[in-house]
Amino acid sequence: MFKVIACRMIVPNMHLLTLVAPAVAREARPGQFVILRAEEEGERIPLSLADWDAQSGTITVVFMAIGSTTARLASLTAGVSIPTVVGPLGNASEIENFGTVACLCGCYGMGSIYPIARALKEKGNRVITVMEARSSYLFYWEERLAAVSDRVIHITRDGTKGYRGHVGRLPEIMRALDEPINRFILNGCTFFMKRASDETRPSGIKTMASLNPIMIDGTGMCGVCRVTVGATTRFACVHGPDFDAHQVDWEELLQRRKTYMPEEIVPLRTSACEDHHVASQEGKP
Amino acid sequence: MKLDSVDQILDFAIAKEQEAWQFYMDLAAKVGQQPVKQVFEAFAGEELQHKAKLIEIKQRKLMIPVQQRVLDLKIGDHLVDIVLSPNMTYQQALIVAMKAEKAAFRMYHDLAAAAGEGNLKESLLMLAQEEARHKLRFEIEYDDNFQREN
Amino acid sequence: MTEPVKKQYDLNRREMPKQLPEVRRYNFNEVALGYTAETAIEEAKRCIQCKKPLCISNCPVEIDIPGFVKCIAEGDFLGGIRILKDKNCLPAICGRVCPQEEQCEKTCVFHKKGGQIAVGRLERFLADWEAQQCEPEMPEMLPNSGRKVAIVGGGPAGLTVAGDLIKLGHKVTVFEALHRMGGVLIYGIPEFRLPKVIVTREVEYLRKLGVELITDFVVGKTRTIDSILGEYDAVFVGSGAGLPWFMEIPGENLNGVYSANEYLTRLNLMKGYLFPKYHTPVKSHRKVVTVGGGNVAMDCARSALRLGAESRIVYRRSREELPARLEEVENAEEEGVIFDFLTLPLRYIGDESGWVRAIECQKMALGEPDSSGRRRPVPIEGAIVTFPVDAVVCAIGNSPNPLIGATTPGLTIGKKGNIEADEKTGTTSREKIWAGGDVVTGAATVILAMGAGRFAARSIHEYLSRPQAEVSQNSGA
Repeated sequence: MFKVIACRMIVPNMHLLTLVAPAVAREARPGQFVILRAEEEGERIPLSLADWDAQSGTITVVFMAIGSTTARLASLTAGVSIPTVVGPLGNASEIENFGTVACLCGCYGMGSIYPIARALKEKGNRVITVMEARSSYLFYWEERLAAVSDRVIHITRDGTKGYRGHVGRLPEIMRALDEPINRFILNGCTFFMKRASDETRPSGIKTMASLNPIMIDGTGMCGVCRVTVGATTRFACVHGPDFDAHQVDWEELLQRRKTYMPEEIVPLRTSACEDHHVASQEGKP
Repeated sequence: MKLDSVDQILDFAIAKEQEAWQFYMDLAAKVGQQPVKQVFEAFAGEELQHKAKLIEIKQRKLMIPVQQRVLDLKIGDHLVDIVLSPNMTYQQALIVAMKAEKAAFRMYHDLAAAAGEGNLKESLLMLAQEEARHKLRFEIEYDDNFQREN
Repeated sequence: MTEPVKKQYDLNRREMPKQLPEVRRYNFNEVALGYTAETAIEEAKRCIQCKKPLCISNCPVEIDIPGFVKCIAEGDFLGGIRILKDKNCLPAICGRVCPQEEQCEKTCVFHKKGGQIAVGRLERFLADWEAQQCEPEMPEMLPNSGRKVAIVGGGPAGLTVAGDLIKLGHKVTVFEALHRMGGVLIYGIPEFRLPKVIVTREVEYLRKLGVELITDFVVGKTRTIDSILGEYDAVFVGSGAGLPWFMEIPGENLNGVYSANEYLTRLNLMKGYLFPKYHTPVKSHRKVVTVGGGNVAMDCARSALRLGAESRIVYRRSREELPARLEEVENAEEEGVIFDFLTLPLRYIGDESGWVRAIECQKMALGEPDSSGRRRPVPIEGAIVTFPVDAVVCAIGNSPNPLIGATTPGLTIGKKGNIEADEKTGTTSREKIWAGGDVVTGAATVILAMGAGRFAARSIHEYLSRPQAEVSQNSGA
């Protein structure tokens, strides 16, 4: 069992969860993920690692509550334990001295891109972080990201901070920066990454995206995480999760991610009345 | 490309086998991963054997009679084209080989269809048959290894 | 002179009571209900206790079959289970999933007349009987040897090695990637063939013997084998063959196209058939096609049926060539699975939202025998059929996961992704690393994995029993 150290909402609907998982913390590297189960009957879901501490044996994930499992994870409190935390899974992000790297993030990607930006900075890269959100109150970890970036740029739909609009303003932002970018890193929801990839494609600059398909085992056993990259099928859990964004079949990924949308919230809706009633009749608590 | 004599046809085929060797050696170099790399190197070796056989046929002026059609399992026909990658599996390597041999067979078959009756046509049909045999060898390997439950 | 009295043999194999097909196709409860004690004794009495029994040598773990069968015949069930467990630590499982018809029962002297002793059913009976007694007997355990063995994979091979080595006094840790022990026993074989409570019980037995069981641990990711060898004296790799094969035909990434592993893992490991009580979603499909003809394909097709779908098996060859156990094929037919033989999918056709809607297939015919004498299927020109579907399960086979090979330098891997290991000992190209089961052979049976585990355990024990100086130094041994 894996003990919860902290669980709180950091900005509306974005949750931070810190757990004790020493084996994972010891081996974790930027870009990797873990698979968790919130309870015995729970689903297995993948969440990218946002931070870890090998000394204290803890890991941190940042996630949005959008279905029954993330809702349950969001409701955890310090001191309880969850049955499954397995990892670190997937391949680590490629960290080299590329020159100048633009780290583009939105949503839960602000959390998961942090260790990548940190490692790139440590490797001697100039790091420019671009954060996108609907509004300024949805930004989090700004200080953390600023600490590992040479510049931080914001984009908000409502214009409350930085550029007004969305990642479609990227070409303009790059022109304003007026410096050569050697690589783009994309972390965030599928729509965000697809759009960002479209914007960087004309430049021909290598763009790596951390893909987020549905997963179950996370070790290459089931194939549900298969994505098409450059006309070949890849398993995101063992060949990724990072892939060349310009080669990804984004439409297919978006469609495959919708497979269980109708089912995702059903366990949330189901009341436990019947179970309680039956149990009380059988004299159980 | 002049294919006016049996000798010219055989020279053409011998060059093709050399090309095929190069094709597989290039794949071996690109793949990088040890087991599949050796698979492609082995396929390349087989092409050299085919080349040697054709050289012997030319030198000794042999003709291999065109028999009844070689069994064609058509396994590779409807499979997707495999994109080369370092993570290639043996299954995918065999698909590449089946399709390559099929392409070679088609080439000789079409040339034979265009040729007039006589030695030239016979030679081209013989070469087509050889490629069909190579393809069958890969198809059987695929069938035995990756179709055991199908 | 009087004629010698002809001995009358009882060739009447006692039937296994089963749930009726029309009932069981709607539930996931175990199909086979097991012999009663009376039936078991009757069946056991049929065995003529051959002086030179042929059955034992055809058992991959060499169980003393006549021995335990005699005990049942005499009503000595305790004696029987002792004999059985001497060689087989998972009898409740083997009694259910072993292909006895290909092994011990095939060589029974009564086989020609169709009266072979139902060894599997008797094995299952004894194991189930024991489970109903209070606690299983603890076997004799040798004293602590001071040696530690790590096992990668909590499937049949790994559990067998664990059971054998713990009794020999070694400290044993099993590392399992999933959140439950059992491997294919827990994620692959459905509840209606192998109730999970049995797997849990067998695993608990190992825990009682002192085996350390660690789940949620992916060797190769969480720690590499070389890192583990820093603390352990030997490693056995039983990581199985879990990498799914796809058909490599167009449309394979459409929604609704599953690998058999995914389909079965959702249902078996994650108990998706109890959705939404168990939260892993399983969709309600109306028409499911399973491609393949092995036990896995039968499991998928029968599961789909139980979930309320019209369930079809599409298989490239003929019925006679189905690799699945005949018993499971017959069960599937009785339950209403539709079989389309000599049929091969060419492509999956989807709709605008990326869901599979139809499967286009080629009809086949068996061609001339090739040099091996085998008649291989060839397409019938122009014979194309299209079925409407909303799900396809691809159950054409698996190969070993490349993770261990990729993270263990010096470990020789074959072209099919298998670890190369000696057949008799399980030794690999690396000292202190053994391997057995599906990771070596490719996907095969539970009992073969157990047999390989047995050989490897023997070899590991011999290695560890060498004088201290011969075994390389380890810290913390």
